[in-house]
Amino acid sequence: MELTRYQQYYLLDCMLEMGELLLDCGAEISRVEDTLTRVGTAYGAKRTDVFVIPSLISITLNYPEKEPVTETRRIHSTGGTDFYRMEKLNSLSRDCCREPIDLKELRARLDHVAAGKKPFSVVFWGSVLGGGGFAVFFGGTLLDGLAGAIFGAGICLLQYALGRTELNPVASNLIVSLLTGLAIGIVAGLIPALHMDKIMIGDIMLMIPGLAMTNALRNILVGNTISGTMRLAECLTWAGALAGGFMVALALVDRIF
Amino acid sequence: MKEILYQLLSAFVGSMGFALVFGMRRRYLFAASLGALLGWGVYLLTEHFLSNSFLPPLLAAAFALSYSEIMAKALKTPATLFVVPAIIPLVPGGSLYYTMSYAVQRDMANARVYGTRTLESALAIAAGISFVLAVRELRTKRQG
Repeated sequence: MELTRYQQYYLLDCMLEMGELLLDCGAEISRVEDTLTRVGTAYGAKRTDVFVIPSLISITLNYPEKEPVTETRRIHSTGGTDFYRMEKLNSLSRDCCREPIDLKELRARLDHVAAGKKPFSVVFWGSVLGGGGFAVFFGGTLLDGLAGAIFGAGICLLQYALGRTELNPVASNLIVSLLTGLAIGIVAGLIPALHMDKIMIGDIMLMIPGLAMTNALRNILVGNTISGTMRLAECLTWAGALAGGFMVALALVDRIF
Repeated sequence: MKEILYQLLSAFVGSMGFALVFGMRRRYLFAASLGALLGWGVYLLTEHFLSNSFLPPLLAAAFALSYSEIMAKALKTPATLFVVPAIIPLVPGGSLYYTMSYAVQRDMANARVYGTRTLESALAIAAGISFVLAVRELRTKRQG
């Protein structure tokens, strides 16, 4: 497939977009690099150099007998998790590699993926099930599970509200964990049948950056040391904020009751 | 026996919640949550036979990762989709909480015990994951 210079830049832009979307929905670094390299090669580049860290993507395409084209993009997203989009991107890149699709169509499909975030209702019911399920899992009664589910719903709404203010993750984790801890502590203090510890554990599980941490680890293990340590440091800071918020809440609840 | 059933079921429900939070589509939901149930089953089994606190989370994490890669191959989706829901029950949320709780009550002896346990489980999960990755790497390198 022979591309004009304009088309090469157009392709680069699409690839950067694809990389940014992949990072934004929580794909590991090696997956992003691998996918982009395959796409570049599928569109006729003799050699595709891709470098990705959580805050930057750089792509260079080399064509026979032409100067290489290169572009860089700064990434500001903190990398949430969205399997919904990840899966769509996966099938899009598979299609590209099987047979290069028209660039205009590629752009349109990327825009389509970017617009289709995971539905909020799904996240909401997920938090309800997760908070409730893990309260029971860690030894709570069914009543604790019910309470965990209700607080899970609260966490989800709170995170959604804070997400719109674009607060940094450390601050928002601190606020959410402090408020959640206080609410659970006070309710459990007033209703003696509830076990405060089990409910809190269930809801802590909801907030631990699980995927980010597993990914950080996998990044380090497959040799992407910079990205891995960067994410790991981020996760540990978030987890620290989380623990800090809960500890303050626990101390306050201890005083009240 | 009843308690084991209780745990397995709640692991299933809880990790289904997680899969939903991450935006998993309904098509894969059952397979993902089943990974958590089976993974926790492996944990309970190994814990029963080996009186050791390091090996069970290691083996369960290794199982969870293998399960995810097999499922991902079969359903043609990224393995990441299945890894997290499958590993979630192994995350030491309980010991993390008790570490904090004892630390706040200034009971440092107990806080240390639970803190060590938290770190130990986290390390064991990491070791389990790296073990599977290493084996996979070796196999693909030999074929390639």
